[in-house]
Amino acid sequence: MPELLVVDDSKVMRDMIIACLRADPGLRFSHAASGLEAIEQLSLKPFDLVVLDLNMPDIGGIEVVEFIRGQDRLRHLPIVIVTTRGDETSRTRALSAGASRFMVKPFDPQTILAEVRGLLESRIAAQP
Amino acid sequence: MSSEGRVSEFITGFLAEAGELLALANSSLLTAETSARGGGASPRAVREAFRALHTIKGLAAMVGVEPIVALAHRMESLLRAADQGVTRLTTDGIDALLQGVRAIEQRVQALRLGKQVPDAPAAILTRLEAIEAGPAATPAPPEAHLDLEPALLARLAPMDRDQLLQGLAKGLHALRADFTPTPEKAAAGVNITSVREQLKARVEIVKVIPVSVPATAETPAGLTFAILLLAAFEPDQLAAFAPQAGLAVRTLSAAPAPPPAEPELELEEEDTGARPGVVRVEVSRLDDAMERLSALIVTRHRLARAVADLAATGVDVRPLTRILAENARQLRDLRAAVLNVRMVRVSELLEHVPLLVRGLGRNTGKQVQLVMDAGDAEVDKSVADRLFPAIVHLVRNAVDHAIELAPERRAKGKQEEGLLRIFCLQRGDNQLELSIEDDGRGVDREQVARRAQREVPQTDAALLELLCLPGLSTRDQATTTSGRGMGMDIVHRIAVDELGGELSMTTRPGLGTRFTLRVPLTITIVDAFSFDCAGQRFVAPVSMVEEIIEIDPRKLIRGPGKGAGLVQRRGEALPVLQLSSIFNLTSSEPATRAMVIRRAGEATGIAVHRMLGQQEVVVRPMEDALVRVPGVSGATDLGDGRPTLVLDLAALAGTMLGKEAA
Repeated sequence: MPELLVVDDSKVMRDMIIACLRADPGLRFSHAASGLEAIEQLSLKPFDLVVLDLNMPDIGGIEVVEFIRGQDRLRHLPIVIVTTRGDETSRTRALSAGASRFMVKPFDPQTILAEVRGLLESRIAAQP
Repeated sequence: MSSEGRVSEFITGFLAEAGELLALANSSLLTAETSARGGGASPRAVREAFRALHTIKGLAAMVGVEPIVALAHRMESLLRAADQGVTRLTTDGIDALLQGVRAIEQRVQALRLGKQVPDAPAAILTRLEAIEAGPAATPAPPEAHLDLEPALLARLAPMDRDQLLQGLAKGLHALRADFTPTPEKAAAGVNITSVREQLKARVEIVKVIPVSVPATAETPAGLTFAILLLAAFEPDQLAAFAPQAGLAVRTLSAAPAPPPAEPELELEEEDTGARPGVVRVEVSRLDDAMERLSALIVTRHRLARAVADLAATGVDVRPLTRILAENARQLRDLRAAVLNVRMVRVSELLEHVPLLVRGLGRNTGKQVQLVMDAGDAEVDKSVADRLFPAIVHLVRNAVDHAIELAPERRAKGKQEEGLLRIFCLQRGDNQLELSIEDDGRGVDREQVARRAQREVPQTDAALLELLCLPGLSTRDQATTTSGRGMGMDIVHRIAVDELGGELSMTTRPGLGTRFTLRVPLTITIVDAFSFDCAGQRFVAPVSMVEEIIEIDPRKLIRGPGKGAGLVQRRGEALPVLQLSSIFNLTSSEPATRAMVIRRAGEATGIAVHRMLGQQEVVVRPMEDALVRVPGVSGATDLGDGRPTLVLDLAALAGTMLGKEAA
């Protein structure tokens, strides 16, 4: 069963994201409340996808993306950015750092679910 | 989010989290204001405020509250400009931001009450925008040397580098502590979040940089966190603060030896970071748990009584007694656990006081320095809720009436800035002592006496009694901030009548006044003595009783009234009041026991016939105003189905002594 890591410093936001994705009973969730916590968890155990906020204390989402893409083991991990920063600069920075998708809050529950499913399916399809 | 049902489900969470975030924004902005006033900057506080508002914006957008989004967006934008050095954040800018926080608070409140959320005030939005377009920041301080490998140095923001360099300049140690996560550490709860929390209490963490390392036996995750920090102590002491973390510490520069003491203050920057492992619970659920526990305790009393009745018929109840004892212990533990969940930190209770003082200072044109030290005292939520209005009252009085305007203070040879101190300590098992102290003009005895149309009181206690007379006002005109004068009767009612505590005061003309509230940490369930007086059973909280003494009726020196007398206690005369005469109870035999209580610092004995025991009782307050008697704080059920009066011995002694004096 694919396991997702939901990273946001707001607990309500994490709960909302997980509530949207729970519509798919085939997913499991872990969460992290900061970028550093996310990096620690990703280094200690395998995940299938990360949902990531951009603005967090200590270390921002872009830095987390850069770190993930710099690791051999995590190079292909799908990353969905969910952020309030909807400006073009943030989008370009996030995507060029290696994020897979960029979504702006408020997001639609169906859309995020569809994006996550799409990424997980293409990942499974790409596996040898 | 699109579906309505889903949104409403998160409104409660939003309200709670927004409250925390707004408190964080407020405290960060106040920190920034303090720095700005001293001509400096507080980049960390600015960034904290930015983050809080950013999160509020995101959440508000999710639950669809546009006015909050608009306000937070403007404020966030100004803070970002300040953070990036595009705009200089002055006290004026911070004032506008605080105004914005208040506007958001009002809208959150409207949402909480289910009212229409008003639009974002255009004036505030325009003001914020104008400030953002204002003058640019002054350039950053010159570069200096940090002993850090280039790859890591490149990952430091200019702000972080400045912070490290400034710390070095102040004589702090700039250190790098490497924390390497492993599955074993994670399983033991040692992770980057816990390590950071442990360190945060002792040092100033500037930045944590994740560093990829080759995966080896020591670094199974292929990851190390480089924690860059400033410390006031020697590097080798650092590892001791996070013993399980296995930190590798090295210094970032050969800084000169730190000067003593001074840097400590700099480290006190408010720690308002998110607390991991914290669950938010609605108070009603806690109250519910408490109710159920209360019912359980009443049932236990009935059970104990039934066993006693059984024993009286000659049945061997020893096994039952053992189970009862076990059950009593478990109930005590359960009670402690439930009460513990309901405990609120006093420091959290005082969170809004800086903002209050700031507002009062502005309205009155007074400069006030606020010093708060709540330590880690905690009180029950229900006590906290009652206590807060009393604190607000006392703080208002201090700023409004006690602390003088700057010219007057100067003329008296005082510091222009008034000093307001709030501090508290926990006394014994179940008492909180909270003091609010100012260095203002002191209470004017003559004026108070004139107002109350009484004689000039000779002691502080007598003066306080006058101040607490309902409706007494020492001001000729109502002020906007304190309404009609002092309102000390409200403080007295809260501390004494509602919480069963004590209120005391010391005042020195021209030097200042200190009010001290002594209240129980918890209410509702109290540990109480039960006793018999002329055939009637009563209970009184153990926390009020200092000592139980035997009195020899032959050695009792009768006083002028029928209920009072004196006995010798450890060579000193102790006034003793007969409980029976308060309730007009008659008994053929004299009282032989007395509970010693302390009232306004004075020891007084309350004489009764027999002490029956000590047990936990649930106090039900007397709701009916007609039944409300001073000295009776409520009733309880000891298991016999009959109400037993819970006595407030201190208040009772007060009414008695009053009677005697009259």
